[in-house]
Amino acid sequence: MAEIKQEPMSKKKLDYVRRERTREMRQQIISFSLMIFLTFVAFGLVAMDVSPQFVIPIVIGMAFIQVILQFYYFMHMKDKGHEFAKLFIMTGIFFALSFVVTFIYIVWIGKPI
Amino acid sequence: MASTAKKQGVGSVIWEYLTTVDHKKIAILYLIAGGFFFVVGGIEAMMIRIQLAVPNNDFLSAGLFNEMITMHGTTMIFLAAMPLLFAFMNATVPLQIGARDVAFPFLNALGVWLFIFGGIFLNLSWFLGGAPDAGWTSYASLSIASAGHGIDFYALGLQISGAGTLISGINFVTTIINMRAPGMTYMRMPLMTWTTLVASVLIVFAFPPLTIGLFLLIFDRMFGSSFFLVETGGNTIIWEHLFWIFGHPEVYILILPAFGIFSEIFATFARKRLFGYSAMVFATIIIGFFGFMVWAHHMFTVGLGPTANAIFALATMAIAVPTGIKIFNWIATVWGGSIEFTTPMLYALAFIPSFTMGGVTGVMQAAAPADYQYHDSYFIVAHFHYVIVGGVVFGLLAGLHYYWPLMFGTMLSEKLGKITFVIFVIGFHMTFLIQHFLGLWGMPRRVFTYLDGQGYNTANLISSIGALMMAIAVIILVINIIMTIAKNQKVGRDPWGDGRTLEWSLPLPVPYYNFAQIPLVRGLDAYWIEKKANNGRMMPSESLEDFHMPNNSFIPFVMSFGLFVAGFGALYFASGKDWAIDAVSGLPVHPWAPWVLGLGLAITIGAMITRSVKDDLGYYVTKEEVLRDLEEEERRAK
Repeated sequence: MAEIKQEPMSKKKLDYVRRERTREMRQQIISFSLMIFLTFVAFGLVAMDVSPQFVIPIVIGMAFIQVILQFYYFMHMKDKGHEFAKLFIMTGIFFALSFVVTFIYIVWIGKPI
Repeated sequence: MASTAKKQGVGSVIWEYLTTVDHKKIAILYLIAGGFFFVVGGIEAMMIRIQLAVPNNDFLSAGLFNEMITMHGTTMIFLAAMPLLFAFMNATVPLQIGARDVAFPFLNALGVWLFIFGGIFLNLSWFLGGAPDAGWTSYASLSIASAGHGIDFYALGLQISGAGTLISGINFVTTIINMRAPGMTYMRMPLMTWTTLVASVLIVFAFPPLTIGLFLLIFDRMFGSSFFLVETGGNTIIWEHLFWIFGHPEVYILILPAFGIFSEIFATFARKRLFGYSAMVFATIIIGFFGFMVWAHHMFTVGLGPTANAIFALATMAIAVPTGIKIFNWIATVWGGSIEFTTPMLYALAFIPSFTMGGVTGVMQAAAPADYQYHDSYFIVAHFHYVIVGGVVFGLLAGLHYYWPLMFGTMLSEKLGKITFVIFVIGFHMTFLIQHFLGLWGMPRRVFTYLDGQGYNTANLISSIGALMMAIAVIILVINIIMTIAKNQKVGRDPWGDGRTLEWSLPLPVPYYNFAQIPLVRGLDAYWIEKKANNGRMMPSESLEDFHMPNNSFIPFVMSFGLFVAGFGALYFASGKDWAIDAVSGLPVHPWAPWVLGLGLAITIGAMITRSVKDDLGYYVTKEEVLRDLEEEERRAK
């Protein structure tokens, strides 16, 4: 068994990494508070007894925004070198949607189209 | 580690293979296990053809015949074709992209052991109360009603080996994206690597639906749920959709790596750059993408309705376009080349017309109204054997001859290889060409016998004789392999003389660390460029330094073994329980079943915990050792 060989970072490099991490942290906190805010709005809308036809699409829309924030800021999809992951997620969503649509139309609704 | 011991005893060789994480050794494991299952599936095929050789035959009973066709299909697809392709993918891809191993060597070993244990589990059904008998598609309306434990073996065995395949797929995607040598851009990757990438992507997207489908089936049959039980509100069509959402990409998972092998062979033995490289790459990607949009063409007669059928028919026909692009590119590659008729090249040349015939009948079936006529007839059997044997099996045989020196450092006999080729190709066309006509004359598939005087007798006999010829060809191939191993005449670097891609630039046998220095890739067909524009040696992209390699591990074997044990617990869990489905509720109760299930899962989870807790940092290959190897190689070359 061998130790992993690591070289100590230079001062400049260390500063750069620190700066980058601070920026990253700021972005994460902003998106996190945004997500909390959206969640409160969603709960608020439901608590205020607004008509469901109005609430449901808005809540789904806000959920969608949260998913995007989650992907981009917490799961690093905004970073460089994540193009393939992005492509895979998009393709996966496309396939999954087409399967779900098929299932809804030709399995559960049950009428041949 | 491996290289320090020169002469090893039998025990230490076996231990080495049980614990190996080296992609070259894992390729050999895949080749041995896949080859074994290929022979098993072939014996099942021979049984089927003997039974159908004459009318009113009673060689097999009807029930046994159903088990034979089910196990033939399942074995050939999941346990023979796919693992054999994995063998060639493992043997070539890391070498073609200039990597020292795959991205996750541990997962690679886990994948092969899961496949081996899943395959053994599935085949143990023959000795433990009957094999699955609902066809390889195992449609839920049949499989729920199938008495005994056959279908349980199918569902659990495929679940275990399917997990292995999914793991290997993820591994190859990561490897190809992340571990290419400097200069190896996407558009410089050899076609074998490209098709492996696309096939692995298909595995990543296609196997989860199968996993879900199999889990639903397992829960229905073994734990009393009712996803597919119509009388309690289930829906059997869901299985068909889930199965074919997996099943159609699956046939592209099989054919794409075969396309890759052929592309390499055409370019090598026509001594020409592959014609239309970028068109080939995009055709591969488009085939992969469309593969997910066509699954319902297997279900035209289910009654989806004319609009749904029309959409899927159109999408299916569209796939003929990229496939046609590939066929024409291969012809153009051969055109005007300085062709050398080696055994792999012969298979590749025979593949073009054979596969095209299968493709054309495929387009015929894509027309939904016409498919109502072909459906469930021998026409379908002929079609898919033309694409799978004429495409995939030819590809595997070609790849076996072509990559044998890379994997074992010896050459298979060209003479015996050509005899095998002639007998196999004649036998193949004899078996399956006539089955098109049998189908058009009205013979249904999956029947265990037929009556005299319907005009099927001669055609079926011809078909059976053809199958016998294929069996003889495979026996000659096995003799060839045994003779080659016995003679053990080692060959050196670039044994075919015209190697174009990076894997042929390595000394044979390939050192366990692959590349002493990671090479610099200067274009498509990296090795060919160095041969033509340089001194025929790859330029290094790094200085000679110590580098890191992973340790061997026994944990993948233990993890897979745990799931194998757990499988038996799950299998017998529902026997004789009053909540179980009719198929198993009458069987004797096995009170030990939950304990065995728990024990198996405990072994697997224990192995996972060991893996997580125990640090395994690998080791460094020293510069001195690599230098010693290089010097010795220099000496041998003189």
